[in-house]
Amino acid sequence: MSTPAPHDPAAAHGPITAPGQLAETPALEGDTAAGHATVHGDESHGGLGLYLAVFAALCFLTTMSFFTYSSYWPWRDEPQVGWAFMMAVSCTKALLVVLFFMHVLWEANWKYVLTIPAAMMAIFLAVMLIPDIGLRNRMVSQERALHMARPADVLLLEQAASAAEEGADHVGNHDH
Amino acid sequence: MNASAASVGHDAHGHHGPVLQYQPGLPLSRGKLIMWLFLSTEIMFFAALLGSYVVLRFGAAVWPKPHHVHLSEPIGAFNTFVLICSSVTVVLALEAARANKRSLAKTWMLATLLLGSFFLGIKAYEYAAKFSHGIYPAAPRGLIYERPDLYYGSAVRARLGEPAIIEQMKELNARPESELTPDEVTGRRRLQQVREMAMGADQQAFDMAVIADQVMPLPDDAAGGHGHGGGLNETFPWLQLPIVIPGGNMWASTYFLLTGFHAIHVIVGLIVFGILLLYDLGPKHAGMIENAGLYWHFVDLVWIFLFPLLYLF
Repeated sequence: MSTPAPHDPAAAHGPITAPGQLAETPALEGDTAAGHATVHGDESHGGLGLYLAVFAALCFLTTMSFFTYSSYWPWRDEPQVGWAFMMAVSCTKALLVVLFFMHVLWEANWKYVLTIPAAMMAIFLAVMLIPDIGLRNRMVSQERALHMARPADVLLLEQAASAAEEGADHVGNHDH
Repeated sequence: MNASAASVGHDAHGHHGPVLQYQPGLPLSRGKLIMWLFLSTEIMFFAALLGSYVVLRFGAAVWPKPHHVHLSEPIGAFNTFVLICSSVTVVLALEAARANKRSLAKTWMLATLLLGSFFLGIKAYEYAAKFSHGIYPAAPRGLIYERPDLYYGSAVRARLGEPAIIEQMKELNARPESELTPDEVTGRRRLQQVREMAMGADQQAFDMAVIADQVMPLPDDAAGGHGHGGGLNETFPWLQLPIVIPGGNMWASTYFLLTGFHAIHVIVGLIVFGILLLYDLGPKHAGMIENAGLYWHFVDLVWIFLFPLLYLF
């Protein structure tokens, strides 16, 4: 009481203004290197070379999933192989975007708190749809069965198409 | 206790209360925290949409092939490329802003805006292609029938019986062959056949399939498609006869819902980038760019899953 501390604004306000810096206005008072570093510890990560490498990888992976559509894809008769492949490619692409472009690789552990529960909820959400919607065609009313498309309809249309093609060929020959 | 604490504070600083050490709960800014919380809700939002699509698709007895609904894989792949490019440009804008290269940051931001608009333009072109084939999510405009059955036949008959169509057909039949393109000549002959089949008293299931094939054939996997062209609806755009795409209605509902919600997110992102362009993009606003970028990368992420699921499955 008798010896008041010398008024030092930096010492007195430093810890209190830190959250202000942290929250919204890093650059207002953060021109000093120290303040800047505490606010954006992750700033030095990345770099043009890394981003371009990730970009190249993403383009390559897009080409890979497009490859399943091309005639060079060896498993054209087993679409499941292509689906699994494309999902693997998509997950890899998603991971690249999240880790590098969204800077999650360099974030602290809060990233797990936000992403893992959301991802689990997302998976549960889809799984919970399976009994009622995924298996909806196991048991259907007669009226619905009357109006819903069946593989036989596709077959019928294909037969009609090939018949039309033959007819067209026939007409063509006739014209010649 | 309180009094002594206060007095200690007074002792230490003379004119202040106790000095409190601020301990942030998470080592990130409030804006970024809120953006991440929002994105985790968005994960579940799109997971619900994508999950229902997958479950509907694999639970369906028949699902149309991408060619049956006039999806173009190369266009989809190109759109993926455009969106990935825009993700890179927004990252570069953030880097430039942090390095205090304001005009460079603005350039990258503008590039992002343009690439996003380009994506939307391609999407609009694709939508227009669907609409021109009568593929809409719902009935008044949508021309899709699930099966080539008698209901389909009666719909074709009803359409051919409309006064406007009768008038158009009269006009078409009155025109001399020299005025018509070869496609229109064969199309006219086929339209006559379809009309006779649709109006005929004795109809078999196969007749309906023949009509459906003439109106709009389901293209083969091969890029060239069928030998007999795009069908009557393409030769005579005014005709707009009902078409048959097995599983096509559910496909249209899910396709337009998924890509529509994604497009809405793209539009919101573009508005945000447009607003950001009004600011001075220095280190002071790097946080804003970062948050907008996080959102944009998420939009990119959704498309990364949408593209194979919609175009290649």
